[in-house]
Amino acid sequence: MNLLPLYQRMVTIRIVETRLQELCFKGEAGDLHFSKGQEAISVGVCAALRQSDYIVTHHRTIAHEIAKGSALRPLIAEVLGKATGINGGLAGEMHISNPTIRHIFSFQLVGTCVPVATGLAYALRYYKKTDDVVAVFFGDAATSNGQVHEALNIAKIKSVPLLLVCENNGLAGNIRKEYYLPTETVAERMAAYGVEAETIDGNDVSLVQANTREAVESYVRPESKPLLLEMNTTRLCCHKQGQGDIRSKEEIAKLAERDPLLPVEQKLRLTQEQKERIWSKIEMEFEQILQHVQKDKWPTWNPN
Amino acid sequence: MSKDPWFRNRLIRDASYRAIYDRMKVDPSIYIMGEGCHMKIHFDAPQIEKEFPDRFITLPISEDANTNFAVGMSLAGVKPIVDVITADFLYRTMDSICNTVAKSNFVSEPKTIIIRSEFLTAGPTTGQRPENLFTHIPGLNVVIPSNPYDAAGLTYTALQEKAATLFFEDRMIEDKTTSPTDMIDDSSHPSIPLGKASIRRSSLRSSVTVVSYALTLRMLQILFEDENVDYDLIDLRSIYPVDYELIAESVIKTGALLIVEPDITYSGVGAEIAAEISEMCFRHLRHPVKRLGAPRVTIPASRKLHEYMLPSEEKVLEVAKELSK
Repeated sequence: MNLLPLYQRMVTIRIVETRLQELCFKGEAGDLHFSKGQEAISVGVCAALRQSDYIVTHHRTIAHEIAKGSALRPLIAEVLGKATGINGGLAGEMHISNPTIRHIFSFQLVGTCVPVATGLAYALRYYKKTDDVVAVFFGDAATSNGQVHEALNIAKIKSVPLLLVCENNGLAGNIRKEYYLPTETVAERMAAYGVEAETIDGNDVSLVQANTREAVESYVRPESKPLLLEMNTTRLCCHKQGQGDIRSKEEIAKLAERDPLLPVEQKLRLTQEQKERIWSKIEMEFEQILQHVQKDKWPTWNPN
Repeated sequence: MSKDPWFRNRLIRDASYRAIYDRMKVDPSIYIMGEGCHMKIHFDAPQIEKEFPDRFITLPISEDANTNFAVGMSLAGVKPIVDVITADFLYRTMDSICNTVAKSNFVSEPKTIIIRSEFLTAGPTTGQRPENLFTHIPGLNVVIPSNPYDAAGLTYTALQEKAATLFFEDRMIEDKTTSPTDMIDDSSHPSIPLGKASIRRSSLRSSVTVVSYALTLRMLQILFEDENVDYDLIDLRSIYPVDYELIAESVIKTGALLIVEPDITYSGVGAEIAAEISEMCFRHLRHPVKRLGAPRVTIPASRKLHEYMLPSEEKVLEVAKELSK
């Protein structure tokens, strides 16, 4: 298993989000939702999927877009509201729809992605008659929303090829989990629907990739059934830019010890120099793209 | 087509299903889905049950997820027809209609999706008419035919438009009042563009333009025929988009406008038309635009009390006569 491309992709997400955050503070971007600390999930899952498989995602989706293989320029242009963006500036960061890489849709409203992904998975298997699967990403907090439970019910009854990826960061926006999660894990709630589920460390990209591959290739794809992988993770940024964090600096620093980049750097045995080379190459690429995007045209519109 | 044993008014529904069935024969991407779908197809459209058993999907009583499920199917190229059964149930799926259906068609390439439901009158939460709410949401068309011919024609069109359409069936329109010219037969394939109203009555001597749709349109059609009055009568057919061109053309001729709605008038499509036509035709109007419709009250269960929900024939004739001066 080649770890280096996975590392590069995770670093790309980290750098893009860090730079976009700086642009937020300068007023060049809106209040964005980042995935800092959760990169191993999107990267590991997408690395295990086929290119032809689909993903449906939530509002914190710059990471998934990069993980599924988006070109950076249209992504950054979309986030900055330019005409050259993936959706011409209509979607922004939270409503991206990029069918060319099969990141078919992302939904700002918590929970919506699960029933939509269920319908997509049904249509792929029983209308298009392909063996493509759908991976749907949502947070642990989304499981307090009825849409998720209605969809699990349908996904099981209709036997759809759906991988449910629960990114468990223990937060609902800026609220701790004692306010919304009545059980120890999300996985145990799946028993109510007869949906297979497993809880794993979502900060280990190799483990995420291996578990996803196993779940998809031995169960979801051949059996055409839903399965949930609960991936425990750490959000190392605040809910959205321009908002404070309910957690203390010390708490976040403690969580940062589980930063998903660290174990990969160790496994790859990167020297400081090698690491710097990887980072600066991606940083330079970002700066070049940003310069182009900043000169790109704003969208024009004639709503009537 | 129908063998539904318990419902008296079914011509409009049968015509809609005829159009759906005809389109399903030529378009394999059309699927019907919703709660209790098997039961509905079994009774309402047995031909679809027999010929396309894989193309209707029976879903649980989870309206909100069902509509989002349909959006997911549309992303794979399916043209979903979502059956939400009773119009009151639309409140259960407002989020998926307004936030998912309407917005996904905005952000990415628009897809065909139809959401069907019907009006009943069985009390507070089984007799509401929520159609006007949806006219406020960009990305949704709202269609309410008053007769079988229009129901079939608008269904054909909606299934070929890359757009989201809410399709209401007014079960209170009595079959026995349907004019033979508004019926369809096996050879008719009417196609009616969305947003085109139809002139139901017109004469050069008309002194009032009366605009309506669905249940009240049918009521006025019969009333004006019986009374033999010279009023232009326009059937909106869709309350979004509204055919302002046709209304204005008639108002310029008659100089007066009365809107009669089967729904609550407050914040209704009649208010919107009154404002728009007042701006467009101000110099041609002899009187302020008048509206008649339901009061802003919860619909009661007793059939007797329904008489208070719609304007009486006497009231309509009285107001129209006043406007014709």
